[in-house]
Amino acid sequence: MSSTPNTPSTAPPPPAPPPKDTFTVSFDGKAIEVPKNVNLIDAAKLAGVDIPHFCYHPRLSVVGQCRMCLVEIEGMPKIQAACTVPLKDGLSVKTTTEKVRSARAATMEFLLINHPLDCPICDQAGECALQDNSFGYGNQLSRFDETKRQYPTFDRTMIGPHVVADMTRCIQCTRCIRFTQEIAGTSELTFLDRGGRTLVWTHDGQPLANDWSGCAADVCPVGALTTREFRFRSRVWYLQKTPSVCPGCNVGCNVSIESKDGVVYRFLPRLNPPVNDYWLCDYGRFLSEPLNDRDVLKATVREGSAVRETTVPAAVDRIAREIRSTLGGKGPGAAFFLGSAHLSNEENFLLRKIADHVGSSNRDAIVDRSRPRRIKSKTVWVEGDHAGANFRGAKDMGLFPGAGGHGLDAVLAGKASPEVIVIADAAFSAIADDPEKVAALRRARFLAVAARNANALTRAADVVLPAASLAEKEGTFTNVQGRVQKFDRAFLPKPPIRAAWEHLLLLALALGFGDRSWTPHDLLRQIAAEVPDYAGIKEEELEGGRLLKKGDFAWAGRP
Amino acid sequence: MEKVLTARIGKKDSRSIDTYLADGGYAGVKRVLTGGMTPEQVIEEVKKANVRGRGGAGFSAGVKWSFLPKDTKGKPIYLLCNADESEPGTFKDRLLMENDPHQLIEGMILASYAIKCRNAYIYIRGEFYDGARILDKALEEAHAKGYLGEKILGSGFSLDITVHRGAGAYICGEETGLIESIEGKRGQPRIKPPFPAVSGAFAAPTIVNNVETLCCVKHVIDRGAEWFLKIGRNEKNAGPKLYCISGHVNRPGVYEAAMGLPLKDLIFGADYAQGMKGGKKIKAVIPGGASAPMLTAADIDDCPLDFDGVAAKGSMLGSAAIVVINEDACIVDVAKNLSKFFSHESCGQCTPCREGTPWLYKVLTRIEAGEGRMEDIDLLSRICNQMANGMTICVFADAAIAPPLSSVTKFRAEYEHHVTHKRCMVGARAGELVTA
Repeated sequence: MSSTPNTPSTAPPPPAPPPKDTFTVSFDGKAIEVPKNVNLIDAAKLAGVDIPHFCYHPRLSVVGQCRMCLVEIEGMPKIQAACTVPLKDGLSVKTTTEKVRSARAATMEFLLINHPLDCPICDQAGECALQDNSFGYGNQLSRFDETKRQYPTFDRTMIGPHVVADMTRCIQCTRCIRFTQEIAGTSELTFLDRGGRTLVWTHDGQPLANDWSGCAADVCPVGALTTREFRFRSRVWYLQKTPSVCPGCNVGCNVSIESKDGVVYRFLPRLNPPVNDYWLCDYGRFLSEPLNDRDVLKATVREGSAVRETTVPAAVDRIAREIRSTLGGKGPGAAFFLGSAHLSNEENFLLRKIADHVGSSNRDAIVDRSRPRRIKSKTVWVEGDHAGANFRGAKDMGLFPGAGGHGLDAVLAGKASPEVIVIADAAFSAIADDPEKVAALRRARFLAVAARNANALTRAADVVLPAASLAEKEGTFTNVQGRVQKFDRAFLPKPPIRAAWEHLLLLALALGFGDRSWTPHDLLRQIAAEVPDYAGIKEEELEGGRLLKKGDFAWAGRP
Repeated sequence: MEKVLTARIGKKDSRSIDTYLADGGYAGVKRVLTGGMTPEQVIEEVKKANVRGRGGAGFSAGVKWSFLPKDTKGKPIYLLCNADESEPGTFKDRLLMENDPHQLIEGMILASYAIKCRNAYIYIRGEFYDGARILDKALEEAHAKGYLGEKILGSGFSLDITVHRGAGAYICGEETGLIESIEGKRGQPRIKPPFPAVSGAFAAPTIVNNVETLCCVKHVIDRGAEWFLKIGRNEKNAGPKLYCISGHVNRPGVYEAAMGLPLKDLIFGADYAQGMKGGKKIKAVIPGGASAPMLTAADIDDCPLDFDGVAAKGSMLGSAAIVVINEDACIVDVAKNLSKFFSHESCGQCTPCREGTPWLYKVLTRIEAGEGRMEDIDLLSRICNQMANGMTICVFADAAIAPPLSSVTKFRAEYEHHVTHKRCMVGARAGELVTA
């Protein structure tokens, strides 16, 4: 390096053009500017050109082996696998020539010669890349007239706690292998044998048992890897997809709730690069099943030793009466309000507003610590360690003891003795199933809870309200990163079940504030106006994720 | 021609370093390393000699070396000797390694010096147990005499060579498959670019050269590019060459000759294979190992056995494995047999090759068994045509289609006979119903 100081030159050099951070690439004659670091397949997507593929995945290493993404590149005599072509300025790609058409049809023919053509009995049908690309790019007839390859002992076998493998359907794209190597870092899967006998299996019969094993089935473009939990439970075209957020922990992975007729069938990860990217942990994924569990179907009130069914409005009126009765007597400190990390920001916000309205500083939200749950975002691992998706949101909404008020610890320890306790979510913590802790809460004169499933707390309560599940309501959660994420309602709860925010709105109205027309959207607007960290949040800007299909071969462009 | 590569083969103790030194061995290393030539001069000389790769591709070794980056950014450069000799019909490298291992080691020392390689490897076919043992012993001897190790002969150049045995896959002879294998992975060819010279073994710049090529390097440095270029048909096809001839000839074996030996001389020459066994007629000749398209008897008269000469006949010299097939062989059977090999050896990563090679074998098996249909013959060529020319990562598929495609094209009548008569047209089984 020169140590000579800069000397002014006689003529100033012409200003250098700003370095371009894009390449100009043309697809079938149409030029487009694309970022320098994208794969040619994704660049084509940006240009609205679909390049069919199986083995390429935006987050996995490029192997170029399925040979479906074949294109012609100007200046290259041979046909090229698009995923392997380094992007450069001026690249001219042809995707519609006869050479490309016949090359793709050739690959499709090769892929199908040994693949069972029994889509009607395959669980992948309807979200199968092989099926879609065959329709799009294959020939109708096969010239293969030999016996199809079979994999005795390697078909329909559990290779881990969740994943079922069927090698007769495998197209050897190695996405699952690369997922376990490059994302999970556990490398359970590998190729065995070679040539036409190549198969994907686990090393030495060790199970595919990492924390994200369901993702191996997600990335599988065909029916070779499926999950035990969803397999053959529903044809996928009957399922309605609803963007939601996993309730498992405070990472708040974006999911798609897949439901039909008021039943949740599965969660799939919903693409959101800074949170969970394409992935979802097994723990969260299979929380879809308990969403269908419910044994609190009606509102109930305790009268003496008997428990009687009642209507939700009547039950709420009773709660309001009990709260009001404390106002005259022992003062505002006599009522205690407990929110939950499972409730939305809107619900926790409304609960805090009720506490404010009656002048109570006794309010709280607590959460159980869980074992760390990790998910790989596009760039880093995001770690959650709290059960419940919205602990941060509950605190942000003000659910902690106010001045002179008490928290749950004080109530459980007997240091505070509220007369009336309102618990907005009976599943707020394992505490709710601990007889000693419940007995401590039961010391209150009146105990009200909203619940989906019965537990020690609901059995002890004076009033129980039937509450909706995550799938039955909408709202926002705030995750460990501070990201406010919206979730939608998949279906309406069956009356008289209502979302917690509806119970709370009824209670607010009974206590003399609020507006009957409020919805979670209005509550979010109020949050944006009143909660400092949430100032200016707009619902329409909270769309963090995108819907994925299993196999996500159509990850962009198509829903 | 004076024997060059095989000059010492057949002599007593030709494997030992003592006889090698007595025959003037390692003189080139001594001269070069003690100031005789700079690495750049060695590359220049090899480039000038146009030593075309003897493994099959025929690419100039010197030019390949010059693809190495000038600045490796701190990464080492590796030389890998491709001794995974597995092309059906090829057995020349085995001869060189088992009988004159020091010739190869000297070639590798010179090549390593030229490309500035500190650690070189010999990737030897797993089945060559003797070769590996002999090479290990020879490397020990060279170490003991100071031709390998730290600061060889007092120069600033150090080199160690390690023998790495393969595990029995043909595809590991493909240079990037070899690199994957030497890294301890499945033998699967890599996507190119990047080429090995830029990013090869362990992501470092890597040169892969065939055994015979590296042996030629020794002689180019000993005797000069001028001398090398004078051997052979022309300057593009020069140097001594080993030919492996097998099949229905009187004296199969490895023969050394100047590049461009006429195919007819190799088959019929008194110094070579001495004609067809039993005086039978030639039906077909595979001139460059199983991957090379077949030639017919008509091609034989004017076919010089060098890279360009065989290419002009629509085939390739490949590894110079000449397989001679006589009139009694059923060509469908030959194609079926070769297809079985390729179907067994496909690595399985690319769809067209993984699925296409067994398909070809199944169709050929059916035709051979008398269960073929006329449309199967065209089907064969169509399957072939949709497997090659960029459809796959490496050229294995291009090789696998050579036997069926060339035989269907050149011997179609035999296929048709199999279909219509359900029996071989020629050979020992002619006239006999092949179907059950």
